[in-house]
Amino acid sequence: MKLQYDYQYFPISIPDKGAGGKTGNWRVVKPVISKEKCIQCKACYLWCPESTIHIDNEVYIDYEYCKGCGVCASVCPVKAISMVMEQ
Amino acid sequence: MKIISGNEAVALAVKLARVGVVGIYPITPQTSIIEKLAEMKANGELDAEIIRVESEHAAMASTFGAAIAGVRAFTATSSQGLLYMHEMTWWVAGSRVPVVMVVATRAVGAPWNIWDENTDFMSERDSGWLMAFASNPQEALDLTLQAFRISEDERVYLPMMVGMDGFILSHMKTNVNIPSQDDVDLFLPSRKQPFVLDSESPVGMGNIFPPIEYMKLRHSIHEAILHSEEVIRKVGIEYQKITGINNYSTLNVKYKLDDADYAVVLMGAWAGDAMEAIDELRKQGLSVGLYRIRYIRPWSEEEITLALKDKKAILVIDRATSMGRGGPLYLELKSTLHHEQMCGVISGLGGVLLNKGDFKEIISRFVERAKQGNAKGITWYYPKGGEKIELKSPRYVEE
Repeated sequence: MKLQYDYQYFPISIPDKGAGGKTGNWRVVKPVISKEKCIQCKACYLWCPESTIHIDNEVYIDYEYCKGCGVCASVCPVKAISMVMEQ
Repeated sequence: MKIISGNEAVALAVKLARVGVVGIYPITPQTSIIEKLAEMKANGELDAEIIRVESEHAAMASTFGAAIAGVRAFTATSSQGLLYMHEMTWWVAGSRVPVVMVVATRAVGAPWNIWDENTDFMSERDSGWLMAFASNPQEALDLTLQAFRISEDERVYLPMMVGMDGFILSHMKTNVNIPSQDDVDLFLPSRKQPFVLDSESPVGMGNIFPPIEYMKLRHSIHEAILHSEEVIRKVGIEYQKITGINNYSTLNVKYKLDDADYAVVLMGAWAGDAMEAIDELRKQGLSVGLYRIRYIRPWSEEEITLALKDKKAILVIDRATSMGRGGPLYLELKSTLHHEQMCGVISGLGGVLLNKGDFKEIISRFVERAKQGNAKGITWYYPKGGEKIELKSPRYVEE
């Protein structure tokens, strides 16, 4: 949209991928996947309530959106995910 | 040329503007606008969607939704209804979407009162709407037509409300010049608006904005109202081309003012009575003139200062109050002019009628006080015998 006058602002926004769902800096603990223990069973990917776990050959966590709730750690059958305090 | 009432004039203006959606909810004294629109729709004269809703809040909300979807939209209301849609008026103004509303002014309860007073209209001053006030049915039609053009101008993009005195204008029948549909089509191009809610190019509307962005939006509304002054003058000149009415090239209207020592400032229907009173006082040798405020927003500081700065004294007659402070027009003028001799009169509340004699009395009293140099402060004026009426309300008295 081209604005002709510098005082014209409108209260609209263009939808963007997860623009409002980023975690910011308030997360207390974060899940870390241990690659040695992980068996790629995809349980964490299925159970993550924020859908922040993606699969790209193997599972990985998108920390921009992860809230640190710990569900993935508790559903992991081999306890490959540990919750680590944020620094 | 037809003999029609103010409400019928507004309804005809809405029809001529080819409005697409009207959200309607009846309230005295505005009801006959929407009755007339519904009648036109039933007769097949009006090609618009008429949405009957359950409240004024919903009337404005449905109008707002239609406007955002890209249709020319209109609604009308009064008094309690305007207060009920107060929340939605802020939403519409904040969204910068062109909408036109006509307000037939009426007193606000309690106590219950259906007669004319401008307080309801004036209470919307802060919301970010452009606000014009008519003084006769002809002007109600003209301003309604111009409102569509002004609010859809790309320099403005703000909603506009047109006020008129309830009953006095809305139900009084006078001669009204009605422009032809072809002329109006020349004057009013197809609708423009800043954004349209459309599934083809999705935008979000109504979501939360962070503090700085919100403040910038508010700032932009303020700037748009300031810039709308030149737009209003240009639209007035354009309107003259199709109707020949040479009255809209300025925001406010002067009457015998340029050579006058004393100025009377007011707005609305009783300007007619005041003009007649001024004519007679002029014959008696009092040098008074009238300045009628037509646009409350934008408030043209430049025009008002030019017109009133060299007057010896100024009298502001208000048909509205800001309780405990004075009339809104008086307060606005005081902040514009810093004039030493300025006094306010509050009258006409809740349908109190002033006639020519009352205006003569008010103005000649004011001139006497101004000559003594103490034209200051606010007085409440009751027409003949009114101050003698005692309120006979039961009171609880402790023994």
